Amino acid sequence: MKTKSNLYRKEKYYGYLFILPPVLGFLIFALFPALYSLWGSFTDWDGLGRMDFIGLANYKELLADEQFHKALFNTFYLMLGIPVGLALALMLALSLNRGKFGTTTFRVIYYVPVISSLAAISILWQWAYNGDYGLVNQFLEIFGIEGPNWLANKHTVKPAIIIMTVWKGLGYSMLLYLAALQSVPRSYYEAADLDGANALQKLRHITWPMVQPVTFFIVVTSIIGGSQIFTEINIMTPTGGTEYSSATVVFYVWQKAFGNLQMGYASAMAAVLGLFIFVVTLIQFKLDKSSDNHD
Amino acid sequence: MGSKKKWLSAVTLMMAFVLVLAGCGGNNNGGGNTGGSGEGGGNEKAELTFMFRGGPEEQKAYKDTVAQYEKDHPNVKVKVITTAPDQYATKLKAAITGNSLPDVFFFDTGDLRAYVNGGVLLDITQYVEGMENVDISKLWQKGVDLYRYDGNQVGQGAIYGLPKDLGPFSLGYNKTMFEEAGIPLPDKDKPYTWEEFIKVNQQLTIDKNGDGKPDQYGTGFNVNWSLQAFVWSNGADWLDETGTKVTIDDPKFAEALQYFADMQNVYKITPSIEDAQTLDTYQRWMKGELAFFPVGPWDLATYESLPFDYDLIPYPAGSTGETATWLGSLGVGVSSKTKNPQAAAELVAYLTASEQGQQALVDAKIQIPNLVEMAEAWAANESTKPANKQEFLQIVNEYGRPLPGYRTYNAEWYQLFFTDIQPVLDGKVTAAEYVKAEQPKMQKLLDKAIEQEQKSKK
Repeated sequence: MKTKSNLYRKEKYYGYLFILPPVLGFLIFALFPALYSLWGSFTDWDGLGRMDFIGLANYKELLADEQFHKALFNTFYLMLGIPVGLALALMLALSLNRGKFGTTTFRVIYYVPVISSLAAISILWQWAYNGDYGLVNQFLEIFGIEGPNWLANKHTVKPAIIIMTVWKGLGYSMLLYLAALQSVPRSYYEAADLDGANALQKLRHITWPMVQPVTFFIVVTSIIGGSQIFTEINIMTPTGGTEYSSATVVFYVWQKAFGNLQMGYASAMAAVLGLFIFVVTLIQFKLDKSSDNHD
Repeated sequence: MGSKKKWLSAVTLMMAFVLVLAGCGGNNNGGGNTGGSGEGGGNEKAELTFMFRGGPEEQKAYKDTVAQYEKDHPNVKVKVITTAPDQYATKLKAAITGNSLPDVFFFDTGDLRAYVNGGVLLDITQYVEGMENVDISKLWQKGVDLYRYDGNQVGQGAIYGLPKDLGPFSLGYNKTMFEEAGIPLPDKDKPYTWEEFIKVNQQLTIDKNGDGKPDQYGTGFNVNWSLQAFVWSNGADWLDETGTKVTIDDPKFAEALQYFADMQNVYKITPSIEDAQTLDTYQRWMKGELAFFPVGPWDLATYESLPFDYDLIPYPAGSTGETATWLGSLGVGVSSKTKNPQAAAELVAYLTASEQGQQALVDAKIQIPNLVEMAEAWAANESTKPANKQEFLQIVNEYGRPLPGYRTYNAEWYQLFFTDIQPVLDGKVTAAEYVKAEQPKMQKLLDKAIEQEQKSKK
């Protein structure tokens, strides 16, 4: 222990020095604001001046807040897009993995929405969904269907937003699946062929388990991302939709905090949302571990 | 090893807090003196930051005004920060919370009390009254009063800001359409009654190509911005005099709301049921498919290129026989933390009341002049569209009212009314049922706002 060289000891500090910037960044821009907001959730605070400690009053009020319940429901509803996106992405990846012509082109096409600005995409889809002049309804008209005014109708606004978010996220999930598919050893399929397995059986017993870590990753990140959906809502339905039909939790937090001077109350909602994400992710990690027996 | 780790995390944490504090401090000092950096005069040169939202025309107008200000104040340098309109409110609130507020900034009229009580806005009365280069007594009295607050009531007391503009929300009609249909033009001094209004609209709702669906409509109002005119002219309101009680359960209110909804469902003088969102009716108006549509001063540049002739009239009048509409405004104020209150307040006066600046904005056709005399000269010129610009001035001077949401500490209760209103517009719920069910919900939010206001005064 005592014969460590000077260089060795110094090196250790250099190491710490190198990780210092991200650690500092985390402390200043993530941990500190998060704790501050958590403290704020126990106070009556308008975001301008004094913070008065009021204990759990904000949380109690949340329980009875109709708009919060609506926002919570909408947020969960919008997550219905996650399994749909997952299935579509896997299908696309499977077909692109066959390496027929044009693979690269299609990969690029599907990936374009991913790298596009979310705000710009939201505006484009807002136009596409326009009841009178929108592309979507013009397309439906070819088949003689008279489409609704998608974003102004409380029954269609959520499906409309789901379609958009699935479309936007498809390329990313597809790329992850493609990478996973390409790392599945050929020999597994050859062995299955020898045993006389059909395509469906191969998919179920080889491909699906082999890409499971990717599926897990996508589900976890999608739920975390889906809980925080805001930009699309704010741009496509600036008032939270007819009868609050598209307002999400983060949208409501934003309205309260920046529109109605209730920073403390908004912080309480943010804390509830944070807790929800934490618990869901924890459960998922537990589930993943228990089913993690294929390798 | 354990103790070392602790030591390290302690140091890191300390550094983090030091940095946080330094960050905050830095912003505060930033507005102060940046002199000594080789500036010629040897004098300390003060720097002011000015944050606002606006389109290219406004940016240009304010750039010129700021240049003029800097010429008159050689010791002050103004740093202009522009943001996109939809991000402005969030950015401003973040700046307040983060203690890095610009010296001069735009703010919503409705936030006046919160900002004064919260110590955000500076009392600028002593600086702007009796200034040398700019005379604020030439501004619309009503406009300045919007930014007076004595701690209890808006409209009197010290000045906490000046109006960037006044936005009278008037009604326009498609003159060409009237002439083609051979219908007598509306009288600009005598508003339609509600019955007359429906009748004219029905005459102008026409199926031109015979496909069974009208392609020219009477009107198409957005409930958020046009219902007020109908409610007020029927003698009802969202709030009582004291601003403490939600009064939408007044039968006269329900009558007005029902009338508004019936335009679509009963009289069928507006585009189909789900198209109440402005974008569509706005586009239809621009294409010349609507007879009546709201017009604000900010529309004038766009409406310049309309393929038809248009003019302004008062909104149709309900049972009171009096027309009504709202008058919007945006404030320009000074941060209470500014290092240079005098210079900052004078910049506010320049931005709102300097003749060149106002002329530039008027030439760009995005607002009516803030200066009374200039506005009167502008309105008297009937050669520019719309001919009856006088209507705008009448709204400012005579019958324009602030939006109800701006009369209270926050507008949450008011927003709820519009969030839930679609079933009424769709004809699924009657206005009477709606106001009865909605009043308690709104009252609850209003009570909360009042409670918040009380607390902020302490």
